Formats: sequence, C-alpha cells, structure tokens
Amino acid sequence: MNLEEVVELIRGALGDLAKEITVRKGYVEVVVNPGDVVTAATKLKELGFDHVKSVTAVDYPKESRIRVTYHVSSYLRDDLARVIVGLSVDLSRENPVMDSLVGVWRSSEFQEREVYEFFGVVFKGHPDLRPLLLIPELAEKRVLRKDFIVREESIYEGVPHRYQ
Amino acid sequence: MGSRLGGTGVEEPVDRVYVGNINVTARRARELLLGKLKLGDVIDWATTFSLWPVHLLTSCCGAEFAATWSPRFDAEQYGALPWVAPRQTNLIIIEGTVTRKMACALRITYEQMPHPKFVIAMGACALDGGLFYNSYNIVRPWEVVPVDIYIPGCPPPPEAVARAIIELRRKIREKKLASRWLVEGWRHDREPVKPVDDVCKWWRP
Repeated sequence: MNLEEVVELIRGALGDLAKEITVRKGYVEVVVNPGDVVTAATKLKELGFDHVKSVTAVDYPKESRIRVTYHVSSYLRDDLARVIVGLSVDLSRENPVMDSLVGVWRSSEFQEREVYEFFGVVFKGHPDLRPLLLIPELAEKRVLRKDFIVREESIYEGVPHRYQ
Repeated sequence: MGSRLGGTGVEEPVDRVYVGNINVTARRARELLLGKLKLGDVIDWATTFSLWPVHLLTSCCGAEFAATWSPRFDAEQYGALPWVAPRQTNLIIIEGTVTRKMACALRITYEQMPHPKFVIAMGACALDGGLFYNSYNIVRPWEVVPVDIYIPGCPPPPEAVARAIIELRRKIREKKLASRWLVEGWRHDREPVKPVDDVCKWWRP
C-alpha cells in the first residue's frame, strides 16, 4: 500500500471530520476541530494506528493560536507503519483547552503532561494532569511559548550580576 | 639480596613496598601507623584510600564516569569504588547538568552522607551551566553543595576524573580535612553552603 492509498483510507475513514489533509513525504497531516478530536482519534485507532509517537505543540503568537499535534503510527500493520499521521488541533492561545486522548491511546499520557507544563494546554479528562519535568513554579510560566524570553549572550561576559 | 616473594623466610628490604608482597606491606603499615604518626594523620591517610563516590548520574558525563572505573583506566587502584547507597559513601561526583528537580535529589544525597564528605563537580555544565548556560531549568551545583574539585571538559576524559580523585587525596592529606572535620565538627577551611534557591521546598511555611 503506497502513500496515496493510505491517504485515501484516512480520508474515507474520517469523512467530514478532517478539515484539511496535507501530504508530505511519508507524513500525513490531518487537522480537525477541537470538538471532533476524540471521534477522529477513535476512527484512526480502529483503522490500525495503534500508538502515539509524540505529542507536541507549536505556538503561533501572531495568529493567536496553538496547534497541538499527535503523531500516530502503527506497530501491527506493516503497510500503515511506513507513514506517520499527525492529528492536529488548533486551539486559542488565551484559553487552550481540549479533550484528552488518553482514553484512546494510553501512551499519550506523559506526553500530554509535557505539553501541559510547557505550553499551558489543559487536557480535559486526563487522569493525572501534573507537571512532569519542571517544578510547578516554572510550569506556570509556560516556558516554551514564544513570549517567554531566555537570557542570551554571544560572548561570555564573566560572572553574572546575580552571582556577584 | 632478599627475595621478592613473601613468606620464604629470607629477610626482605624494608625501605620499599612491592605491591602484592603482603608481609612487607603489613610490616611497613604497622610501623607507619603505630610508630610515627598521630591518630589524625592516620584518619587522613585512611580517608584518602577510601573515597567512595556515590553514583549520582545526572547527565551524559556518567558515560565517562563509567569508563573511569573500567579496566582500561581502573580508578579503583586509587581506592575509589562507586557505590549506590549515599549512606555508605563519602564522595559525590556530580556527573553533568543539574536540573531544578535533580538539585533537590543532590542536596538530599549530600545531607544523607556521613562526615567527612567531599564533592567533585564534573563537566562544563556542573561548572557554570555549560551548554545550558541560559536555561530556565538548571542550577549551578556550587549553589547547592560545597564543591571541592572542579573538572572542566565537555565531557571530561576518564584521565581527568582520575586526576581529580588524586587531587582530592592530596588536598585531604595537606589540609588535614578529614581528621579536623571529625575533631572540630565542621569544615575549618570553608563556610557551609546554604542553597540559594529553595530547591526542595523545605523553607515553605
């Protein structure tokens, strides 16, 4: 099964749920509405995509949206294992709330915790939504958003002021 | 000429110690310990040959740390043996980057170790951040625990780690760190380090 047939399979399974399907080399990007994400994920899982490779998010501050992407693929079906499907949701930047997909893919639990602590995206229905890698004070700052500024220096300037 | 093999009944030379000659070594050590030295010197001498680093692996320097105790470099010849439990060790080698969550573990490990205890910071990240100098999630180890020896490098080679252990041994013997720490109850040569940040949320009312 080549890539076009996989795309047709996904298009037939999702139907009207998919707002936009973009195909690149070995990668299929599917954008759905935030309300339809659990339904779309369930249909993708019934199709044979059985695990989540990564959950990530991209911050677009000018367009005031955050795009959360689930990269899913298959272990059990060889023809589907050659493609990676990105299931994407566009959320508002001020109040990013979406439904959790832990009930569909259990392997997305820790990765949703990471997206929660780095971007502030709240997953409704997540069993244990706590910061994973950061301390809670840092997680409140949403450190991977674009408006979090880290100190930069091109040349080492010696001991910083706060250590003197 | 005496024989190099022990236990043969032949008189052995006393002025040199051959590794593996247990008779000569035992006699030499008995004279050294009971004849000439004070008890504090004996404690310092014994501590230098029993520097057991706790295996606190925080980052990729742990690979070089492991290679240091491999047969090729064999840092166990200096009396150092990596051990897993902090309550039976007396040396921390901080292997790389210390994140904010790991700083709490580092401080707890340091508090658990019995006196006298020493800290070696390994790698550029443990010196001043290294690659992650502007990261929001790291701490400098010298803000958390008192560091005795710094090893630069990214990562330091195994020879540098062995060299740091030898330097720490020299420092303990010269400054009499171990014996004076046991007698006086604190390090006489430096102030105790209180962590700059509240790493473990112990200060919260």
